[in-house]
Parts: sequence; structure tokens; C-alpha cells
Amino acid sequence: MILNGVQIDDTFAEAFNMRGTRIIITALNLKWAYHAANAMTGFATSVIGCGVEAGIERELTADETPDGRPGVSILMFAMGSKVLMQQLETRMGQCILTCPTAAAFSGIASEDQISLGKHLRYFGDGNQVSKLIPDANGINQRYWRIPVMDGEFLTQETTGMVRAIGGGNFLVLGQSQPQVLAACEAAIEAMKKVPNVIMPFPGGVVRSGSKVGSKYPKMFASTNDAFCPTLKGVVNTELDMDIESVMEIVIDGLTFEDIALSMKVGIEAACSLGSEAGIKRISAGNYGGKLGQHHFKLHPILQGNLSGATA
Amino acid sequence: MSALIFTLKPTVTTQVDCRALIPDTLAGKTLTDIKAMRLQQQLTVADVFDVAGEDTTHLIFKQASPLMHHVGYQMKIGQIIIEGNVGDFVGAAMQGGVLICKGNVGERAGDAMRRGMLLIEGDAGAYCASSMKAGTLGVLGKTGARLGFGMKRGTLLLAQAPTLHATWLDCGWHTLPFLNILYQSFKTLDSRFAALTQMRVQRWVGDVSGLGKAEILVLA
Repeated sequence: MILNGVQIDDTFAEAFNMRGTRIIITALNLKWAYHAANAMTGFATSVIGCGVEAGIERELTADETPDGRPGVSILMFAMGSKVLMQQLETRMGQCILTCPTAAAFSGIASEDQISLGKHLRYFGDGNQVSKLIPDANGINQRYWRIPVMDGEFLTQETTGMVRAIGGGNFLVLGQSQPQVLAACEAAIEAMKKVPNVIMPFPGGVVRSGSKVGSKYPKMFASTNDAFCPTLKGVVNTELDMDIESVMEIVIDGLTFEDIALSMKVGIEAACSLGSEAGIKRISAGNYGGKLGQHHFKLHPILQGNLSGATA
Repeated sequence: MSALIFTLKPTVTTQVDCRALIPDTLAGKTLTDIKAMRLQQQLTVADVFDVAGEDTTHLIFKQASPLMHHVGYQMKIGQIIIEGNVGDFVGAAMQGGVLICKGNVGERAGDAMRRGMLLIEGDAGAYCASSMKAGTLGVLGKTGARLGFGMKRGTLLLAQAPTLHATWLDCGWHTLPFLNILYQSFKTLDSRFAALTQMRVQRWVGDVSGLGKAEILVLA
């Protein structure tokens, strides 16, 4: 398959079941909502070292938020519910409670509820105030008002936890580092417009893709040498001699279709620069199909089949 | 489904205990059942009210009078609207739902209330919110003596400045973001409370003769 002169490999991205949640962060203005959200989603690129993968999903206008202030929505994913709960509470306490004017609300409905301010309320040292207020559907929602030095920290008691998917990905292979980075930036800009997904790595792009295992016994993952351009001559490489740089975009999302759509949009945007701009191939990362529960096949997705169903 | 309407008969001159007429106890009952319900030893619903409608989760009291007491007592769910003035203990021991009074209320409104919203568009008599345990009680009109007497927790939202006992402590003026969420919930109601927008309030905390975890928020 060729898209604008760029070869699309007949391969698939391998992704995993995760647990996810959405939190709405508001503040006096968007600047401070971003300060809170950036802190909360900081050091959350990979579950391997950070516990969770998190990112800002989109900006919210004042009429889209519960308290009528501008805000952003955050998506957060973990391999299990326990880690997600722990990380959410820790990050709420260190990043949202501490941020001037910030407030936090549930951003997703689910029967599974996890703590947002449920335990954080004890910071109020007995002066915290609970309010049970009906939402637009008449369902009572519990909020906590915790006295802090800038006034009151307002947080909903819980947020929903849902089943989600993490690890959708594609690789951009090109003639030079700046050209591949430009294609990835174009992809990320397009993918940011897709709801229900985040790209958790710095700027949405990761340059250190990994393979399972290592020559060092204590390491369970190491550099993906088959895609390292400087090793082309010494390993069983996946790269032609004209490929000088490879970067990866990893996607976590709420459903298979969300991730498939963001992959389609991102690959098309990266390929829109064309082979003349040095973009040569699009590939995807997998482990042979034996580890992950979800396979995102590049060709069907680019043909518009976003459900993963085979014809 | 139309609201269940209780219209007070003009011939009624005795005090009427309305505590039986809440959505919780009326659920599943037919109009005939409801009319036959006994309010007091010598008084059935049909003796006191003309009854029409069907939705037992949404009650309206029309031609209400200060002779009516304990309206909404221990209500847990649904909505009650009182058109007119009403007597004592309105919304007392409420445990949920929304109770709106479009006129004045007597003494001890919201007494020992635990949950839900009691919204009074007119004036409230003495001992309003006495021993209140939690929930939200709003008064747009004037409030009487001993406001929030023994109030433990909960929020009393007042449109007019009250006369407070020394056991209520002034915590100053504040802009509270949670009020926007509270006001959003008012917007679905047939009430003058739906027009509230002011986020800046004077916060009093009390009643410090007891637990002292309650608050009075004054918009004036």
C-alpha cells in the first residue's frame, strides 16, 4: 500500500487492555487549568516507569464544565484498577490540590467509581464540607469543599473508571531526523482533534521504541535495535539504507474505534508531507501478536475499517 | 404524567398535620387510596384537600395555609411545591428530594434536616434550620429569631442579611466556585431560586454552642 508516495507496511500495532478514567480540571482561567493539568499528566509517559499514562485530551469552554470555568479534560490509563486509583489520588493531592484556583470533576460515567476527592477531603482537618447536588439528570453528585489558603478547593468525590486500550501505535520512517519529526508533529496536531485518545509521550512522540528482553538479565526491555538506523549494518535490521530516523506515536484510548480513528488521522497527516519531504515508510510496533489483546492492522484502518472486524 | 395536586379546601379551619403526604408514602397509591388516607385521628385527606393528578413523585400544595404543618416531613425523594404560605416544621427531618415553598413558612423550617434541598421564596419564622444536620436550605425573604439554632452541618443560603446569635462566627466575604454548581441545579426548578447567579457571599460558621460545622452564606 502506498499513500502519497509513502509505503505503508502490511503489519499491525499490538495493544493491551487497560483501565482508564477522565478527569475535568477547571481553574480561574485556562492558563491555570493548564498548569494543574500539565502537572497532573507530567511523568506519565509509560506504565513501565510511571505507573500511569496520562495526557490532556482537549480544552473545555466555560459552558462545558461543571463549575462554569474554563478547563481541560485529562485521560489517564493504567494496567490495573489498583494502580490507577493510587496514581489518581497521588496526582490529585500533589498536582490539583496544590494548584491555585484549580478544581477537579468526574469526566466519565461508569458503574465503577474511583476516588477523586473522597480521601483528599481529610486535608481539610475536619473543616471540609460535603455537598450533595443534583446534576442535569437529577442524579445526586457528591462534592467536597476543602478549605485551602487561596479559598476553597472544590472536587467531586469520585470519577468513573472504564475498560480501555493502551499501546496503539505507528512508526514513521524517513530520510532524516528533522523530516521525521516534522511528519510526527503534523500527525500529532491532527490526532489532538480526535476525542477519547491521548498520546502520552513528550510532544506525543517517542524515539526510544523497545523490544522485549535484553542481553542484560535484569533488563526486561531494551532498545528496538531492528529499527535503530545506526545499527543497520550489525543487527537483523528492518530498515533500508536510506532510512536515517524512526519515531513512534503511541496512542491510548477508550475504545478500539477511537484508537483506530486517531491512527488513521495521524498516518494520513504524516503521509501528507509525502515522500518528497523524506517520509518513506509507515510501520507499527508489535510483539508477534502473542502478548496484546488488540491488533490494529494498518491497511484495513487506512481503508476505513475502524472496528477491527475482519471481512 | 401530571403532578399530584392537593388543593386546600377553604372550609378547613383546624390545624392539619401533612407529614403523611410525601412522595415516599404516596408511591403506588391510587387517588382513592390517597383520599382515604388519615392525616389525624378525625381527618382524612379528602376532608382537607381536593386531590387531582397522578405523579406521586411530584406534589403540589395549592391554596396552602399556615394551618398546614410538617409539610415534607422526612421526605426522601421527589419534589414538593407549596403555593402559598405554610405552617411550622416544613421540611423538618428531610432526607432527600427538593421542597420549594413559594410563600412564607412558620417556625422550625428544616428542623433536623439531614439531606436534600429546602427552598423558601418568602420569609421564614423563628428557629429556621434548627438542629439541621446537613443539606441545603435557602431563604429569599427575611429570617426570624434564633436562626440556625443548634445547627450542626449543612448550608443555609440567605438572600437577606440575618440577625445572628453570638454562636455564629463571621468568616468574611468569599467567592465560592461550588455555588455555580448549586445554582445550575436550581435552574431546572420552577422557582425564583433559578435566577440566582451571585457567587460572592459572606460566610458565617456555627452554631458553635454545639458541633459548629454548619455554614450560613449571605448574598446580601
